[in-house]
Amino acid sequence: MNVYFKEYFDFKTFLTVLALVVIGLISVYSATHAAGASVNFHRQIIWAAMGFLGMALVLFVPRRLLQDAALPLYILSLLTLVFVLGKGRTIAGSTSWIGLGVIGGQPSELVKLTTVLALAAYLSKPTTETESTKGLITTSVLLMLPVILVILQPDAGTALVFCAMFPAILYWAGASVFTALALVSPFAVAAAALVSTTGFIIAVVAVLVLLLILRRDFFTSTVVFSTSVTIGIAAQYLYSRLPLYQQKRIATFLAPDMDPLGAGYNALQAKVAIGSGGLFGRGFLQGTQTQLRFIPAQWTDFIFCVPGEEFGFIGAIVVLGLFTFLLLRGVRIASIVKNRFSSLTAIGITSIFGIHVIVNIGMSLGLMPVIGIPLPFLSYGGSSIITSLVMVGILLNCYSARKEY
Amino acid sequence: MTEESQLVTRSKAFYITIGGVALVFALRLVQLQLLSEARYGKKAEENSIRAVVREPIRGCMFDRNGKLMVDSRASYTVTITPSEFKESALPLLSSILRLDTATIRERIRRGRQYSIFAPARIRRDAEFRTLALIEENRDRLPGVSYQVETRRSYRTPARASHLFGYAREISDRQLAEAGEYYKPGDLIGAAGLEAKYESALRGEKGFEYQLVNAVGQIVGPYNEGRSDIPPKEGYDIYLSLDAGLQEFAETLMADKRGAIVALDPRNGEVLAIVSKPDYDLANFSGVTPPEIWDSLNAHPEKPLFNRATMTRYPPGSTFKMVLATAALQEKIIDTNWRITCHAYFRFGNRTFKCHTQKGHGSVNVVEAIEKSCNVFFYNLMLKTGLTFWSKYGALYGFGSPTGIDIGEETAGLLPSEEYFDKVYGKGKWTRGYLVSLAIGQGEVGASPLQMASYAMVIANKGTVYQPHVVRAIYNKRVGKTDTLLHRSRTLPVSPEVWDVVRQGMVLVVNGTGGTGRSARVPGIEIAGKTGTAQNPHGKDHAWFIGFAPFEDPRIAVCILVENAGFGGTQAAPLAGKLIEKYLKGESEPGKPPRQKLEASETSSAPLSSVRSTLR
Repeated sequence: MNVYFKEYFDFKTFLTVLALVVIGLISVYSATHAAGASVNFHRQIIWAAMGFLGMALVLFVPRRLLQDAALPLYILSLLTLVFVLGKGRTIAGSTSWIGLGVIGGQPSELVKLTTVLALAAYLSKPTTETESTKGLITTSVLLMLPVILVILQPDAGTALVFCAMFPAILYWAGASVFTALALVSPFAVAAAALVSTTGFIIAVVAVLVLLLILRRDFFTSTVVFSTSVTIGIAAQYLYSRLPLYQQKRIATFLAPDMDPLGAGYNALQAKVAIGSGGLFGRGFLQGTQTQLRFIPAQWTDFIFCVPGEEFGFIGAIVVLGLFTFLLLRGVRIASIVKNRFSSLTAIGITSIFGIHVIVNIGMSLGLMPVIGIPLPFLSYGGSSIITSLVMVGILLNCYSARKEY
Repeated sequence: MTEESQLVTRSKAFYITIGGVALVFALRLVQLQLLSEARYGKKAEENSIRAVVREPIRGCMFDRNGKLMVDSRASYTVTITPSEFKESALPLLSSILRLDTATIRERIRRGRQYSIFAPARIRRDAEFRTLALIEENRDRLPGVSYQVETRRSYRTPARASHLFGYAREISDRQLAEAGEYYKPGDLIGAAGLEAKYESALRGEKGFEYQLVNAVGQIVGPYNEGRSDIPPKEGYDIYLSLDAGLQEFAETLMADKRGAIVALDPRNGEVLAIVSKPDYDLANFSGVTPPEIWDSLNAHPEKPLFNRATMTRYPPGSTFKMVLATAALQEKIIDTNWRITCHAYFRFGNRTFKCHTQKGHGSVNVVEAIEKSCNVFFYNLMLKTGLTFWSKYGALYGFGSPTGIDIGEETAGLLPSEEYFDKVYGKGKWTRGYLVSLAIGQGEVGASPLQMASYAMVIANKGTVYQPHVVRAIYNKRVGKTDTLLHRSRTLPVSPEVWDVVRQGMVLVVNGTGGTGRSARVPGIEIAGKTGTAQNPHGKDHAWFIGFAPFEDPRIAVCILVENAGFGGTQAAPLAGKLIEKYLKGESEPGKPPRQKLEASETSSAPLSSVRSTLR
């Protein structure tokens, strides 16, 4: 048994995740404690337990079955997204939640996983040529369907996760950096153009510099560049032609946590919370920023502030270290598994975790704009923690079958 | 490139990206948590800790015998915390407080400017009934509360309105000037001693630190109250005033307009200072209804005006000793120099009259003072000249403020050659201008305080003490009494000159031809001088200055009764009664305040206990 476990079960990943979940529960307890929302803590325990159960289940699903089920699961999850748009409940301006009696959830969390599985399944087919026109169009369609659906909710953060995961998985599948860039740059430039003209200029310059570094042929580079610029200008032009209320809606979409107390209030309070933690932190349940609810969304999107404030630099570094180790471990698993589908699934899952971590912690540290996506394993929320743990289960599954072709 | 090596390259790209981001984040954590901890820690505290002001108890005032004159008692102030207050509660609050909604709105607006989380004062000195109604309707009045504060209470029958003055709510203009300490709604001394000794009397605000959450609700005390700063009580001030004499002086002036100032000629202490008409300070304690303000401001007799220090009337004949001192000291005349008074004096084509029909006959300087002979002084003025007259006037202290520790006083007017040159042009004024100055008429003016000081100087033979009301300040925090130091200077006048001038003054009251005989008091030798200031707008103003006992003066007085007529008949009797009251009264002057300090502690103790029980 022991030998079997060592061989087939990746303790390193599992223990890292376990540690993160425990820290997450402590943080949710602290964040909800003074706010009189301890019921959330109890729910989170149940969800974590459900997540571990899900992890255990997917651990034993044969890889073959997973690969075959990828497309049907993808389509099913897209249908739930459509259903959400029609019947879902609106929370904080986004219609992303469906309730099925006592069980409810945000399908968009799950769609991240099914999209990764679908992309991995397609890209691992022997007939697929990643960089062919057909390959790029198919993968783009597989990506854009869920992206359009979450944008309609509207949920900018999740759409961003999809878009950022895409070039990573394509690159892993064998596409060149240039291809990845060519696919992403129009969206990046358009988004930047909607934020501000300065953002637009910076994005255009960045694309230009990258193209020069990559030294592709002049024609292709020019096409990529001019497409990006055209789309960027068009986006800005269309934006300016929209009625004011729609402009406002887009602005809110791009900066969803914009606060009436003034721009940057949330980001500032988060920085204050983390900064006031110092080396050892202010002590469990002693952080005034957390306990007195100065941090917005403190048990969801800004959960990183809680260990940052109450356990200080040491606590924050531990969390950061655990995530870094998990991500490195994910890449390692992706690179050692022999099966291409498993490898692509592993890198897709790792990329999703990576984007969440970079955007979420970056936001709490004031290095990223305020974009509302949860921190895996730590943030309060059933869909997030269950999906995350199930994804870890698939990662562990890939590891245990790493020697199978 | 093989599939294998491609995979290695790609893994590396991922490893480097992950490691790079982790490094950037770790460095950011170092920056935020290790390098900027102090800044963010402070910011976090400012966020979550609210300082609630605890008002200090204003210092008390004691008279020269240690008698408590002014202290503070508890009063309740209704407050609103703007962040919690609901507009819909306004009509109910308005009916409970009996204040119109516009006033309440304005006060909330002012409070909001400071902080929406800090309670803003809406109504001071609320009745108990009001508080009961607020308690009853607590649910319907979110953000409405009350705090214990203090208001002035006056413990003696003496009003001393202009002397004590009052503290009132700080104005926006004062707020801009007064600096950090004051916040909207605070009281600040606005007149009299309350203004002059504001920094000593006010004490220091205390702070209670409370934890508040992001919406400003109080969650509990910060650090279990260990960081709280208790308010520091204001210092007590010990006055030179004699409460009994002050009260008596006020009754003497009842129904009159004018002023009384009594000084101790041995040190410049103010024994009594009255300005009538006055006002009731009880109306000024805490909140002053606008009706009272308006009526006081619009009153034709200007009760807010401190006549004792601010009026500037010609001193009339009381001023004659200035000229006598100048002429004697400069050896222009001696007691042998005589003038025969025929009841009038011709200068050029003008005739100046003396105040008797028959004339005073042959008089020397002593008799001229006794009988207040104008003709003698007309002649003496022309002989002495403006320069010496101005010089000695200035030596006595005319034309400049006395430096009394009541905020407002006039410098008066003492003309000199430069003054006339400036006003009329060089060479465009004649010696004729001087004639009326000789008898204290025309372009000369002094306040009753300056006149009392003048009497003091003659009484003590030449020392100008800075008149003052406050003798000492008792610092309750260290239990130490600070005795205040005051200026003094001595006139370069020889004792012989003083003897001559004083001889004239004692005859004013005690001589057969004296003009101030009605000031006489059996058993007390009083010296003085009457004066009648011509008033182009109405009846003359009556003056009397004097001191007693003649040999060893302990009191110097000035009486001014506006539009009363002759000083000898209207002002002199009041001076006699005042001096008699003081010298024969039970009051024993000159006691140091230290012996009576227990009084201050016992007087404020009940208030402190009220405060602590109500908290």
